[in-house]
Amino acid sequence: MATKLSLNLQIWRQAGPDKPGKMVDYKLNDVSPDMSFLEMLDVLNDDLLQKGEEPVEFDNDCREGICGMCSLVINGVAHGPQKGTATCQLHMRKFKDGETVTIEPFRAKAFPVVKDLVVDRGAFDRIIAAGGYISINAGGAPDANAIPIPKEYADEAMDAAACIGCGACVAACPNASASLFVSAKISQLALLPQGQPERYRRATSMVAQMDAEGFGDCSNHAECEAVCPKEISIAHIARMKRDYLRSVFK
Amino acid sequence: MKLNAKVPAGPLPQKWDQHKFDLKLVNPANKRKYEIIVVGTGLAGASAGASLAELGYNVKIFCIQDSPRRAHSIAAQGGINAAKNYPNDGDSVWRLFYDTVKGGDYRSREANVYRLAQVSANIIDQCVAQGVPFAREYGGLLDNRSFGGAQVSRTFYARGQTGQQLLLGAYSSLMRQAAIGKVKQFSRREMLELIVVDGQARGIVVRNLMTGELESHVGHAVVLATGGYGNVYYLSTNAKNSNATAAWRCHKKGAYFANPCFTQIHPTCIPVSGHYQSKLTLMSESLRNDGRVWVPKKKGDTRSPEHIPEDERDYYLERKYPSFGNLVPRDVASRNAKAVCDDGHGVGETRLAVYLDFADAIQRMGEHTIKEKYGNLFDMYERITDDNPYKVPMRIYPAVHYTMGGLWVDYNLMSTIPGLFVLGEANFSDHGANRLGASALMQGLADGYFVIPYTIGDYLAKSSFNGVDASHAEVKEAESQVEANTQKLLSINGKKTVTEFHRELGQIMWDYVGMSRDENGLQHALTEIPQLREEFWQNLLIPKDSKTLNKNLEFAGRVADFLELGELMARDALERKESCGGHFREEHQTPEGEAMRDDENFAFVSAWEYAGLNNAPNMHKESLTFENVKLTQRSYK
Amino acid sequence: MAEEKAKLWSSVGKKALMAVTGLLLVTFVIEHLLGNLLLFTTDPDPFNKYAYTLMSLGKLLIAVELVFLAFFILHMYSGLTVYLSKRKARPDSYRKSGNAGNPSKKTLSSTTMIISGLVLLVFVAIHLKTFKFGPHYTTFVDGVEMRDLYKLVYQTFAQPLYVFWYVLSMVILGLHLRHGVWSAFQSLGLHHHRFTPAIYTFALIFAVVWALGFIAMPIWIFFDPLNVRQDVLNLM
Ligand SMILES: Cc1cc2nc3c(=O)[nH]c(=O)nc-3n(C[C@H](O)[C@H](O)[C@H](O)COP(=O)(O)OP(=O)(O)OC[C@H]3O[C@@H](n4cnc5c(N)ncnc54)[C@H](O)[C@@H]3O)c2cc1C
Ligand code: HEM
Ligand code: SF4
Ligand code: FES
Repeated sequence: MATKLSLNLQIWRQAGPDKPGKMVDYKLNDVSPDMSFLEMLDVLNDDLLQKGEEPVEFDNDCREGICGMCSLVINGVAHGPQKGTATCQLHMRKFKDGETVTIEPFRAKAFPVVKDLVVDRGAFDRIIAAGGYISINAGGAPDANAIPIPKEYADEAMDAAACIGCGACVAACPNASASLFVSAKISQLALLPQGQPERYRRATSMVAQMDAEGFGDCSNHAECEAVCPKEISIAHIARMKRDYLRSVFK
Repeated sequence: MKLNAKVPAGPLPQKWDQHKFDLKLVNPANKRKYEIIVVGTGLAGASAGASLAELGYNVKIFCIQDSPRRAHSIAAQGGINAAKNYPNDGDSVWRLFYDTVKGGDYRSREANVYRLAQVSANIIDQCVAQGVPFAREYGGLLDNRSFGGAQVSRTFYARGQTGQQLLLGAYSSLMRQAAIGKVKQFSRREMLELIVVDGQARGIVVRNLMTGELESHVGHAVVLATGGYGNVYYLSTNAKNSNATAAWRCHKKGAYFANPCFTQIHPTCIPVSGHYQSKLTLMSESLRNDGRVWVPKKKGDTRSPEHIPEDERDYYLERKYPSFGNLVPRDVASRNAKAVCDDGHGVGETRLAVYLDFADAIQRMGEHTIKEKYGNLFDMYERITDDNPYKVPMRIYPAVHYTMGGLWVDYNLMSTIPGLFVLGEANFSDHGANRLGASALMQGLADGYFVIPYTIGDYLAKSSFNGVDASHAEVKEAESQVEANTQKLLSINGKKTVTEFHRELGQIMWDYVGMSRDENGLQHALTEIPQLREEFWQNLLIPKDSKTLNKNLEFAGRVADFLELGELMARDALERKESCGGHFREEHQTPEGEAMRDDENFAFVSAWEYAGLNNAPNMHKESLTFENVKLTQRSYK
Repeated sequence: MAEEKAKLWSSVGKKALMAVTGLLLVTFVIEHLLGNLLLFTTDPDPFNKYAYTLMSLGKLLIAVELVFLAFFILHMYSGLTVYLSKRKARPDSYRKSGNAGNPSKKTLSSTTMIISGLVLLVFVAIHLKTFKFGPHYTTFVDGVEMRDLYKLVYQTFAQPLYVFWYVLSMVILGLHLRHGVWSAFQSLGLHHHRFTPAIYTFALIFAVVWALGFIAMPIWIFFDPLNVRQDVLNLM
């Protein structure tokens, strides 16, 4: 059995949306390396509760890397040190005994802090509402095999569609740009024949909404791709830009 | 009250068409006068919300997560069934219907299942049109696979992320309606009470989880799509926020709870690694297509797997079920895994695991092929366990996965409270005592896209509504009930956290109302659960601020409800003195240890009516008649 | 039309504008270094003739200069707005910052574009003052009277401080180009799974070569290994 870890945690505590926040130090012993990162926080919270202190609030749901609910910037990196892995699937064996681990919320003006490590990512819903769909009412669809789609396109669309909407791309981007998230949806639908009729409108309206939400511009740092738990490529950002620019000159 | 399933007359294949014609319609201009409350944004809720808004109704939709897109449906991996018969391998609406009824061990309602099979094909059309990137073949047409031991390939899939893609499709349609104002979206809200006025479901009380404020919403009908209650076991494959609260509060307001004891245990999950374990992760069932399940023949063998020679391994599924082998249905595979572990053959640190070994498959097809087929699953396994499944066999163990039981609904998906419709996993309707793989996604979308849009109109057209607003006495009453409940939780000054209570309840449920049950155990559970509940209300430790984000408070409310539901599950299991599907009673098995149904006495749905906390609930029976399939004993030998 | 204009000033439009203007400035940089190569010869005439030819373009040159000026201003303006939007989009920065590693392209170069850009602005201003608007020496080449820029250059780069500033600026130009050159392609939506990695590497090589090229010139002149300065400065 692997040895237990002792950790120095520095965690962002903030009582509410407009309250000031600060980093608070906690010490946690006997952390099993087989624990997930969130289980480690569960244990910390149990400790805090027993001591009569406020537990640390953090978002999570599926705990298997698919719902996009978990967040956290760990040691300065969104979703922590492991490539292609959401925080909930990160395990403590990636940390060293005695290590200091900082935990901060996703920071962006468009993602206001709700409490502690919990942020509001409603902006993403509004961006999808601005055009991240194909206009089809239930019942009106032709046979599923009526339009063949080359496997390569379907696969690439799936690569983009894999986005879990976690917002790590925003959190990691030095500019807090949402380009990777937005482009993943634009690109998915642009690759499919069903997405063609609204293709260019979609690009312009989603980008307009992204800008209105107060995300920063894209400087091509590609830090987003590096933290994305689904390893979505910035090639999709390029496709978004092409479609957008084409719409300007159409 | 006598249960009336309202199944239309006529031959099975024509029932739904005839019924659709008989249902009353709401005039298009009038639709915008109706306000419909949808609780839940999983496949069932999101598809219902979008479809109803497309028809012109005003929809308010609620979910616990910070976005509708994160509902638990997102986690479904394997696929969705549909009777498209694209592979030309003999599938049909009838066969899907038949398989589902048989798979459910003849405890579901024929007419509902037939309708499900009928609309299944439309679901795939709908999703493809929404841009769901299903897997395709080089010719550009949709790919299908066989799933969960089905004899035909009728499962559509999008990598290992089918639920996610289907949900994002439904979510995008929902957001399209949100953009034009037909849908009003309320995220981070938890429904805590149903508002019933003049016997009709007219609204809900929710807690805004960010501010702690209570909000009441009234409308003309309430659609509940709040998912399953597998988390009553604490450890399950369900998401952390999955819960029974909305359904349970409706139950207490008069909605009958059907077949609560029907729980599905999934055989291939990653085993528990320690006390801190917070949830279990499912490894897709498809792994059993190529992996071989085994345990050491010797009890308590602690050698590492590579040191156990071939002849000292027991491939127990292949041995006991030569024709199905590793592909026996979920319940059979799960029970056998438990049996060998109980018998001392378990592996791993906790001894509660069996091996799923790919060595043969890798040798036969090469590591490359295996990587192509299961690469992301293998990666996920390695991330969690730190073991490399290409080199050492996976360790797996069964885990609670799905609940077939739920609120009782009639053919129109309406509960016993008029105006309260229940969709998706939250209802009991289609899967009987056991659900087939890839059928839950199908059911959720069928309910939301293709059933509720018709049946709700009939209800609205036929009912008359009195004006109800936020100041109505029933609304105030519901609000004060919620407030009182919250205050009661906050007033406890105890020592044990919600998680500890939840874990203890889970342990009781797993031990006595789990994979196999017997009279003694169930009786035991029926005394232990109320005791634990008692302790809960005396000894809960919880942060005191209700006017802020307070997850412990949220979970306390849910665990309080689980502590009541758990008891009902045990009671239901005790009453059902037969084995069927996921419900295995030790007393009722064949000499070979297989489940033994009792169609004579138990071919019914048990629908429980709440009678107050300290009174035994009343059981109502909806008897099941099978006019189109012959009841047979399942055999996988 | 108004809509089109709005689109050009959106986050995506703005970056496309930056890319086009930036690439145009890059062509200028390329051309400038090639011209500079003539300064390595001991004979002042080729360089002076080259400058003379450019200047004799007259109105055309002014037009080109105005276009460059406009692009320069556009580039600067959009660069500033990108920077300001970034400040606004994350008012509260991380207490601990990290780097996620490959395939991230976040580098010293990419994170200092605004600083390197502003240094370049100052540099260009000083550069123009020193040379374009500097002392007007004349010389005769093949009997034609023309400005003796060669002399001015040799004079200027005799001053250690000026050389130091110039070298520093060129390091910073290299820094700006390292991210800028690949980034411009991405900003225009030109991404390709094979070409993009090549462009990224090319940008690095280009930035290094061009920066070294620009740096070599003042250093060469400062140390003056062939003893040209004496002749040039005392010629008249
Ligand atoms: C790991 C896993 C894999 C699976 N794989 C498959 C598969 O391959 N194929 C298949 O067919 N099925 C699969 N299933 C089953 C299937 O995913 C679920 O049965 C189905 O998605 C349930 O959908 P739903 O819409 O009924 O509910 P859910 O998706 O659970 O949604 C519930 C919604 O209700 C909301 N809610 C709950 N309570 C409240 C409340 N009190 N107030 C407000 N909102 C509330 C939640 O926020 C959520 O939005 C899988 C299940 C699991 C756990
Ligand atoms: C010789 C002069 C210059 C050249 C050759 C040049 C070239 C470039 C190029 C090619 C880009 C990439 C554009 C893109 O990302 O799409 C760029 C980016 C940038 N330039 Fe310049 N530039 C010059 C001068 C300036 C000046 C004077 C400024 C002053 C503000 C500036 C500020 C910036 C900034 C801030 C960026 C980065 C934009 C971002 O982060 O997205 N540049 N430059
Ligand atoms: S693109 Fe990646 S990082 Fe961004 S929201 Fe989607 S999954 Fe998260
Ligand atoms: S909790 Fe769902 S992705 Fe992490």
